[in-house]
Parts: sequence; C-alpha cells; structure tokens
Amino acid sequence: MAKVKVFSTPTCPWCTKAKDYFKEKKIEFEAKNVAEDLEARKEMVEKSGQMGVPVIMIDDEVIVGFNKSKIDQLLKLD
Amino acid sequence: MYDTIIIGAGMAGMTAAIYASRKRMKYEILAKEFGGQFMISGEILNYPGIVETTGTELSKTMQKQMQVNNIKVKEEYVKQIKKQDNHFIVIGENQQYETKTVIIATGSRPRKLNVPGEKEFTNKGVTYCSICDGPLFSGMDVAVIGGGDSAMEAVDFLKDIASKIYLIVKADKLKGHEYLIENIKSNDKVKIIYNAQTTEIIGSKLVNGLKYKKQGKEKSINVQGVIIEIGRNPSTDFVKGFLKLDKHGHIQIDCQTQTSVPGIYAAGDCASGHEYQYVISAGQGAMALIKAARYLASLKK
Repeated sequence: MAKVKVFSTPTCPWCTKAKDYFKEKKIEFEAKNVAEDLEARKEMVEKSGQMGVPVIMIDDEVIVGFNKSKIDQLLKLD
Repeated sequence: MYDTIIIGAGMAGMTAAIYASRKRMKYEILAKEFGGQFMISGEILNYPGIVETTGTELSKTMQKQMQVNNIKVKEEYVKQIKKQDNHFIVIGENQQYETKTVIIATGSRPRKLNVPGEKEFTNKGVTYCSICDGPLFSGMDVAVIGGGDSAMEAVDFLKDIASKIYLIVKADKLKGHEYLIENIKSNDKVKIIYNAQTTEIIGSKLVNGLKYKKQGKEKSINVQGVIIEIGRNPSTDFVKGFLKLDKHGHIQIDCQTQTSVPGIYAAGDCASGHEYQYVISAGQGAMALIKAARYLASLKK
C-alpha cells in the first residue's frame, strides 16, 4: 500500500478537505502539523521546495495543494 | 430542461441552492468544488445570529445543511453560457445543461501584484492565503502587502506567529474597519510603510526579501514571507461579451439581482455592488433564486 503523508497547518481549510477525503476513501495517512513540527516543516520544504500547504506525499510523489485528480490517479481511486 | 442552473458553490451559490432545494425546483449547482471565500476566512464576527465563528466551522455547518437539504455540488467548470430561443445552454467542461434560468455566483479570486518574482515564488514564501500558509512563517519576518481590511486581517492573524511584520501600503493611510486600524497601529511588532510600491520579490529557492519604491527611492527589506492582499478580481471571464459587466469586470445587476439578460441573475462577489460580506452574498443568493422562480412563473402564463 502506498505511504501517504499530509503536511498541513491547523487553520488551513484545504488541508482539512484533503484529510477528510483520505478518511472518506479509507486511506491511511500520516498527518504532519508543520505549524508546530519544525522537523516536518524542514522535510516538506526540502522535498517539495514549497512553503505552502497542503503538501501531500504519496510514496515519492509530491502533490502541491488538494489536487484530487492527481490523488485519484496515484492511488487508483474512482 | 432545468428550472435553474446555479454556477458557484460559495456563500451566494449555496444560499440559492438551499432555496432551490426547498422550493423543489429542478436544478443543479455546478462548481469546481464546494466552498468559496468563507472557507478560507479566519474569524467571522458580523453575521447576524452568529456571535462568533470561523470559516472552517461555518463550512462544516454548511456541509451538514447541504446533506439535510439533499444538495449535491456537481464538479463542473463552466466555460460559456448561450441563449437559445427562450432558454439557455450552460456549457461545462464535461456536459451541457439546458435551463430556463441561470444564477451566477462565481465569486472572485485574489488580485496579483504583477511584479518580478511573484509568480516564481508563489508557494515558496509568496501566498494569497494568510490563514492557510501563515503558520509556516512562525518566528520569521514577513511582509503583508495591501492597505485594506484583508491586509489588516492578515496582519492580525500573523501577529502571534511571525516575529516582525511589515505592512506595505501603497496609499498614505489604511482603509477599513476602525478597530482593525487601531489594533495594528498599536502593535509593536508591526511596521507600517506608507506610500510604498512593491517592485520585486526576491529570493533563491525561497523568498528572502522584497524591494519597494518610496518617494522615488528604491529600498529593500529582508523577509521570508510575502502575503499579498491587494483586493480581488471577479471570476466573470466566461460571460464577457454575453452579459454587461462594470469597468472592473463585475456582472452588472439591478437591485433585484437581474443581469442585462432577463432570466440570468448574479449574486455575491462576482456581481456589481459587491462588498465582500457574507451576509450580502447570502442575501443576494436568496434574492436571485426567488426572482428566478418568479421569472419561471411568468413564463408559464
């Protein structure tokens, strides 16, 4: 099974939407709060080059924003 | 043939859909996704009947309300509307919809600065959503660009997160709610720079500074975050040439939300007279739907 990580901040609505979507599809994911977890923030910036949330990692693929079609494609949903 | 097609699922579109659903009309609500500006709003303190809420909270309540009223937002990006005989064809990316009336509630999107570095560093320190990305700037120095309510709300949100906040204002004063202006002026962390025109956002992999012009002189500051809040543009490109727009691109409506084409109504931030207030968008959404229903009744006569 693919390893899914969601890098988010508590106030970011699109992050909540992304996490809700994974829950709805019963996909396990690791949630990283980059507002507090500085290690996670570093990982996100290094791997994605991004300073914007959400960043979603599915195995080695980096998705910026809640890009539903990309998620569906990588996880073969729908 | 639909009674109405609602385009957009923010505050105005959702309100129209609630009314359409309760009136048992044959309708669809089309949007790229559920949720408009209210979703990314921080505190909401001026909605009658609600003392205090947040965008996220309101959006959750709204989703519950959608279930209760059996509203399903259809994922569709609308490209064009055409008139045919005495009805309309709404042309989406996936499908076409024949309908007797249309309600346009497509809202607006953030205005861009159009300076070098802005596009390159978007999501690399440049953001248009302070409550989304703001917490990433904890302990950093940031610049907020703009001089209105949204810019001041961004500063207010960041005041416990960032270590220093520059507010870059093009005019010689702040414009907006008095309580916000007072809040910001009295905060030691905030430095307001007036009469300043941002000219460039600089950095390497991520943002590390910003250049601006003040009284003919170019100056620069070191910041790791740039939050742009300089107003919004209506999302109305798809009706250009079909409906009458005002000079800023908002759909021209009369006091009954009717556009220049009878049978087509517009509500919320995409329409003229917008004030970026949830209660106004909701009110206009309700009015647009009711007026559309009256128009339908007049067709049957």
